[in-house]
Amino acid sequence: MQLRSFTFIGLLAVLAPLATLAAGGPMTGKTVKIGVVADVTGSAGAYGTSQKNAYDLATDDLKAGRIDAGGATLTFDIEDAASDPAQVINLIQKFSTDGTALLLGPTLSAEAKKADPIAVKANLTVLATSNTAQGITAQGPCVFRNSLAEEQVVPEAMSKAARAWHPKTAAIIYGDDNQFTKTDFEIFKNALEREHIALVDTETYHTGDVDFKAQLTNIASKKPDMLVVGSLLEEAVKIVVQAKQSGIKTHLIGGNGLNSPKFISLAGDAGTGVVIGAAYYLGNNYAGNRGFVDRYKKKFGTGPDQFAAQAYAAAQIVASAVKNGATASDQFCATFKKLNVVQTVLGPVAFQGSRDVRAASAIVRVTKNGFAYF
Amino acid sequence: MLAWFAAHSKLIDQIGINALLALSLSISLRSGQLALAQAAFMGIAAYVGAIGAVEAHWNLPLSLVIGSLCAAIAAALLALPLGRLRGVFLAIATIGFGEIARIVEINVKATGGAEGYANIPNDANTAWIYGTLGITGALILIFERSRAALAIAATREDESAARGVGIDVTAVRFGALVAGAALAGCAGVLYAHANYFITPSDFGFARMEQILVGCVIGGVTSSLGAVIGAAVMTILPESVRFLADYREVSTGAILLAIVLFAPDGIAGLWQRRA
Amino acid sequence: MLAQQLANGLFLGAVYALFAIGYTLVFGVLDILNLAHAAIFMATAFAAIALVGAGLPLALAIAIAVVFAGLLGIALDRVAFAPLRARNAGTLVPLISSIGVAIAIGGVARGLFGPGEHRFPSGTLGPLGEGRIHLGALAFSGLDIVILGVALALMGTLAYVMRATSLGRAIRAVAEDRVAAALLGLDLERTIALTFFIASALGGAAGILIGLQYDSVSLEMGSRIELKGLAIVILGGMGSITGAVIGAFILGAVEVLSVAYITSSYRDAVAFGVMFAILVLRPSGLLGKRALRTA
Repeated sequence: MQLRSFTFIGLLAVLAPLATLAAGGPMTGKTVKIGVVADVTGSAGAYGTSQKNAYDLATDDLKAGRIDAGGATLTFDIEDAASDPAQVINLIQKFSTDGTALLLGPTLSAEAKKADPIAVKANLTVLATSNTAQGITAQGPCVFRNSLAEEQVVPEAMSKAARAWHPKTAAIIYGDDNQFTKTDFEIFKNALEREHIALVDTETYHTGDVDFKAQLTNIASKKPDMLVVGSLLEEAVKIVVQAKQSGIKTHLIGGNGLNSPKFISLAGDAGTGVVIGAAYYLGNNYAGNRGFVDRYKKKFGTGPDQFAAQAYAAAQIVASAVKNGATASDQFCATFKKLNVVQTVLGPVAFQGSRDVRAASAIVRVTKNGFAYF
Repeated sequence: MLAWFAAHSKLIDQIGINALLALSLSISLRSGQLALAQAAFMGIAAYVGAIGAVEAHWNLPLSLVIGSLCAAIAAALLALPLGRLRGVFLAIATIGFGEIARIVEINVKATGGAEGYANIPNDANTAWIYGTLGITGALILIFERSRAALAIAATREDESAARGVGIDVTAVRFGALVAGAALAGCAGVLYAHANYFITPSDFGFARMEQILVGCVIGGVTSSLGAVIGAAVMTILPESVRFLADYREVSTGAILLAIVLFAPDGIAGLWQRRA
Repeated sequence: MLAQQLANGLFLGAVYALFAIGYTLVFGVLDILNLAHAAIFMATAFAAIALVGAGLPLALAIAIAVVFAGLLGIALDRVAFAPLRARNAGTLVPLISSIGVAIAIGGVARGLFGPGEHRFPSGTLGPLGEGRIHLGALAFSGLDIVILGVALALMGTLAYVMRATSLGRAIRAVAEDRVAAALLGLDLERTIALTFFIASALGGAAGILIGLQYDSVSLEMGSRIELKGLAIVILGGMGSITGAVIGAFILGAVEVLSVAYITSSYRDAVAFGVMFAILVLRPSGLLGKRALRTA
């Protein structure tokens, strides 16, 4: 009788700590500090706010166990760079010298090209969540990116459009003073050449322009079969609306600058039928996405845009890496390289040898009820 | 101490470069010319220096010399048609020049356009920046004790009177503009070599406004003022981050306060007390 | 196509004119370049959105916002310019002062409304926003016509005030020779205040009209138009209202024509190039005051 109690107590004593371990996960008790540089205010404030929202939601979801980091605590130290490259530089230098394990961001590609080299010099691993320019990951052996570059998405969008519409001619309108839109133009131009579609008119505008009638009148007179819109959201909405007003009835296609629920609500009728080559589709059925969208809507009053989705996916990737034992910068670098496919709201993602992401793109079309796969 | 410096070296570098820019503007302002093209001269030199460093493997000293020379030449060419303009008209003409320069930078292939120009060798460290600043400061101090400085001040205060006592006003204005441009050019090359990557929007009207505001806050008529103003303008956004979207109000309020209550800027306040 | 492009230029020019008049009025009277003008332009557009959002009908909201703009102009003068006038501070210092106010207004607007684009609540325009009117080969919207009409009406009212009222005479007197006007018994400060009211009210109206025209109000809308406004007043001549109007329509035409026939990338460069050429060749512009030293 006594032997049995002793054995029982002995077993409990041995099993109990194992039980707590099982409940918490292998990384329980570890805290990982992740630095985030985002343009929460300033001219890129809309994008940075989406990113901040996503990290806030990710923090909630980590606590609630919906994102599994193996029991570790992840803190996102979000600093606002106010869309000022000088501040991005200073913030990244701060993160490079205060023991931060990983840097997420910055929001804009131009900022990244100025400031990532500082992180690279200090051996701080960087995961870009919203940079889509060329040459981002080439900046250092530990610079990763989970945002699909336009050059990964546009060719697919263009070939789908070519198959569906058989256009012979096209016109492009793009912003010539913004890195994103200028790159968009180059990539779309190459894609048009590959599909043997003749470019009959190229028009430019400046960021912040509101009147495109002069350019659109030009385009209308050349009667292209397809109009490519290399723009960010606000100009794209106006271009599309004014195109309709100028009598342009042709097919419209754009890059991921247009990928936002706001595009639909603001462009209204003029936006129906526009095809967008994007990295995220709000209505996708990948694991956890529906829940993410619902929780985001409930917490912030609006659906998540691509910036939010990519930021949240980054949090999911980071959690997966932490679960695999990464807590310091060099460990993140090594773990990201070896990471198996992670299930995120963008779908299953993994890093290629070039440290760019391998993920499915979302070529969508605007319908009366929202986005739909094209 | 050393650790703090290492952690904030970029900020310190920014202060140095902004100080050079503020000094270059103050040279113009002290000769009575509201020539607001410093940002454009900075940009011209930055691109020349950057492209030279990447394509022709110039080292930093060579970049500095050629870059600031180009800026000086641009200023010389500009001074000719604009020589007769005064006051606000000169300001507007130089702002227009700045915009034209920016648009050319966006559209010319060699600069990379809006996508920016990358992979600039990062060899302008703090020593170079503050070395240049120190040499500039020394030169200005020496110059301030010379007769030429009196000529400049006379030109600013009353042009007709200056002409009356035999000062070649045209030469003075020309010299001030070109010297200021050369200095802005140095700052531009250093900026490019400290920043890995430049885009045309780095050198637009927003930058010009920032330089002007810094100069005024610090004190237009004194070199020390220019440096102080540059330091304040560089550090201010970092320290009022907590104000979030209301951040700019602090800049505007400080500028207004200086203009209304301390027209000689912070340096003026300091000197008044002394 | 040329006719349509010219029509585009016409509507563009009308609103530019309203904005440019504000610059030129203040410069004519005070020899100051008021760089806070663009900030008031922007702030008034936001004010109009806020008023419509609070439930007021559009016409009333516009009227109140325009008055708000005028009052903001008077406040601007009191805070940034009057103290400097009192101590004879020259022309550079008020310029800087206006930059300070512009930054402050921008900061407040950013804090209150946030970055990105803002729009008038949907349905604000009612039937005006829809539908295209076709006149031969030309196409424009009802809104275009209304905006053109409002702009022309405002300019006409201003012309009447300047020519036929005592206020107009007073403003012209102060612009001509401030000291003499004061000696002749004109209330200088009152005239200046009213000048600012008119200039800012017109600039604010331009802001609202542009906001309605393109369905877009943002913090950056001021800086975009600021430099164009400068080009216009240089072209038309600083201090000349008629010059500003003519300059505005010319700039509107030049802009759309360079897009149509040169290339859209250099559109702004053309506008600035024209301005630069004017400054070099004939700084007083088409109709303006003398800007040169004759020494």
